[in-house]
Amino acid sequence: MSGFTPADTGTIRIADTEVEANGHNYAASIRNDIAHVQQTPQLFNLLTVAENLLIENPSVQRKFGVVSRGRMLAQATELLGKWNMDIQPNSLAGELGAGTRQLLEIMKALSRGVPVMILDEPTAALSNAERRMLFDQVKVLKAAGVSFIYISHHLDEIFEVADTVTILRDGQVVKAREPVSGLDVETIADLMMGKKTVRSAREDHTNHQVPALLQAKGIRIDQFSEDDIDFQIYPGEIVALAGPVGGGKEALAMILAGQQKPEGGEVVSPRGAFPTIGLVPTDRHASGYVGILGVRENVAIGGLGMLSDTFGFIRKRREANHVGRLVRQTNVIASSLEQPVSQLSGGNQQKVVFARALCRNPEVIVALSPTRGVDVGAKEQLYALLRDLASKGLGVIVVSDEEDEIEQLANRVVIVFEGRIVDELVGKYTMTDLILHMEGVV
Amino acid sequence: MSVKTMSDATLDKRNAGQSRFSALGSAFIADGFTMYPVLLVLVIVGAIVAPRFATTANLVNILEQVSVLGLTTIGLTFVVLIGRLDLSLEGIVGFAPMFAAVTLVPAAAGGLGIELPAWAGLIVALGTAGLIGYFNGFMVVRVGLNPFISTLGLLVLLRGGVLILSNGRSIYSPGKAFTYLGSENLLGIPVSVLVFVVVATVVGLILRYHRYGRALYAIGGNEEAARAAGINVDRMIWSAFVFAALLAGLAGVLMTGRLDSAVTTQGQGIIFSAFAAAVIGGVSLGGGRGTIVGVVSGVLLIGVINNLLTLAQVSSFYVQASTGAVIIIAAVLTTIASRRSSGVRTRT
Repeated sequence: MSGFTPADTGTIRIADTEVEANGHNYAASIRNDIAHVQQTPQLFNLLTVAENLLIENPSVQRKFGVVSRGRMLAQATELLGKWNMDIQPNSLAGELGAGTRQLLEIMKALSRGVPVMILDEPTAALSNAERRMLFDQVKVLKAAGVSFIYISHHLDEIFEVADTVTILRDGQVVKAREPVSGLDVETIADLMMGKKTVRSAREDHTNHQVPALLQAKGIRIDQFSEDDIDFQIYPGEIVALAGPVGGGKEALAMILAGQQKPEGGEVVSPRGAFPTIGLVPTDRHASGYVGILGVRENVAIGGLGMLSDTFGFIRKRREANHVGRLVRQTNVIASSLEQPVSQLSGGNQQKVVFARALCRNPEVIVALSPTRGVDVGAKEQLYALLRDLASKGLGVIVVSDEEDEIEQLANRVVIVFEGRIVDELVGKYTMTDLILHMEGVV
Repeated sequence: MSVKTMSDATLDKRNAGQSRFSALGSAFIADGFTMYPVLLVLVIVGAIVAPRFATTANLVNILEQVSVLGLTTIGLTFVVLIGRLDLSLEGIVGFAPMFAAVTLVPAAAGGLGIELPAWAGLIVALGTAGLIGYFNGFMVVRVGLNPFISTLGLLVLLRGGVLILSNGRSIYSPGKAFTYLGSENLLGIPVSVLVFVVVATVVGLILRYHRYGRALYAIGGNEEAARAAGINVDRMIWSAFVFAALLAGLAGVLMTGRLDSAVTTQGQGIIFSAFAAAVIGGVSLGGGRGTIVGVVSGVLLIGVINNLLTLAQVSSFYVQASTGAVIIIAAVLTTIASRRSSGVRTRT
């Protein structure tokens, strides 16, 4: 609808503009009618916040398209003030945190004053406080007569902001304009997945009888950290690192995975030999898979050492067997093992990343946002995979922003904020406990 | 939820029959054979219009002429596969053999007066090349320079270095053992051709079957993903620069051998032909794509075209202009072919 992806057939009528689907992008022709916030921020990293917010905005343009800097700064400051955002309008967009960038993107679209807004997974990178700010603004605009199309996987959000729900599955409308008041979470989930689903429950395979797999001693994430972090993970344990965006949970995970150098302290293994670690990075497009290579090659680069002979040549048979086994274990669906990973669906791409992380037979798996942008079915499969790995004695570290996910997986929840561990939940906690702890209420 | 049942390595075999032909086509392109039909057509046309073209002597001559370009292009492929480039290879083709030559010949002939034995010249040339490659790797990996700028600077520096070393004069007859690779025949085939064939085969096998090659493709495709997979990306980049430089140094030695002298202008312009050959052969300048089979086809194509135009007594001005045109046409062909076959857009 926003004109970024050309439709195959049909027409779209927005206010007084009519668009015929002819296979061409028409984003430019409807920019006064629809604003579209995409899932990943599309900001210009090297421009300032003010420039990003007001780009192509007629209110800051003088004759001949000359942009007024003063007017731009003033408007940006006002806008930021309205959202209680504590950032300088002339700082660079590329220097901001993920949540702030996402908010900027939304502000940019909201401030254009269009009658229809499309928000695609707007809360993916937002903390709870930021999310509430967004919902408030949406409600204000809604009262002022702006219509919203809100795309979301988070069912609780739907009940918070939506009036009617349209559910799509496999490119088809399953349910159109159904009033939200007549629905509940389970019904929507069932409609989305096409069958009855049971939310899976966590299992505890933690083995405290043996030494920990991995132990972090006195870790300082960066030069701003004031407290030391001590952390250990036992075989069979699933630990979730939670906390606000930018609070240090991802940095801690990368340090534990050996991908980032801490400012101080060390990661050791009480069993002597350092365990093999498999990493599922946070953004699979940026650092998860190699899009132009096939499934086989993507999985194999995770364990080139064990798949090759003494001279370093890859053993074809061994590779085929090993990759085949991993692909079965992770349920990757592809037309062949040679299909480029960029052509797979998000869920299958993520499964390939998991297969690669498992390629070296790791003892610890570090998975950052393991199910971001993954459909509900694949999500359940990945949860089952992680539980299965834990039952086989692997240590699993999950970094997540989603309470649901943590509640279904983690035996222990570690909340990281401002570079230190502020809270910890162990054993039989409830969803309510989790939400309260994650929001720092307790 | 349409979860297909997972059997037989979770492969979806429904389309296997109808797409076997297109799969064959994709493999043909992905493995770098795109340009061979074109090459074949050229050879047939050449044989018809120029009687002297299809003689053994001339074909061997073409191979001998392209061996220097071939080695340089294979070297370049290492760096381009990881999404970098190395302009200084051209400088190495001139500098490494010149440095070796001045250590070999007596002071009276323009040497430094060290007069090493001729075989030691090989070690000096390759050692110099290797060090230059190490320096390039250092600049890119440790200092963090953009390789375009750092290797451009080095290229100009090496050009000047050649003139300083040689005092602006060519060095003649650097010694039999040193020029052996570029001037002698073995079993009736020029040694330089044998060197090219051996290097192409070895590098081709490494890129295809060795973990080193797999890692290169992974880094070129997505550097961060390669890092997350546990590949030592920095060391790989560094080593790619060293291998590239070593092959350029070897190319320089062959060239000096063929001319029996280290010429001050040696290698000038070769980096452009090398890029052209790589792109024609299907190497993506964005990294992650390209095979030695393809690179060899690019090198041969350039060699055959030059040879044909020369035989047809086309003026050398036209030879140069038409080579340029061929590069553009071939690049368009390769890009279209790879997009058609894989659906993935590559930028060449």
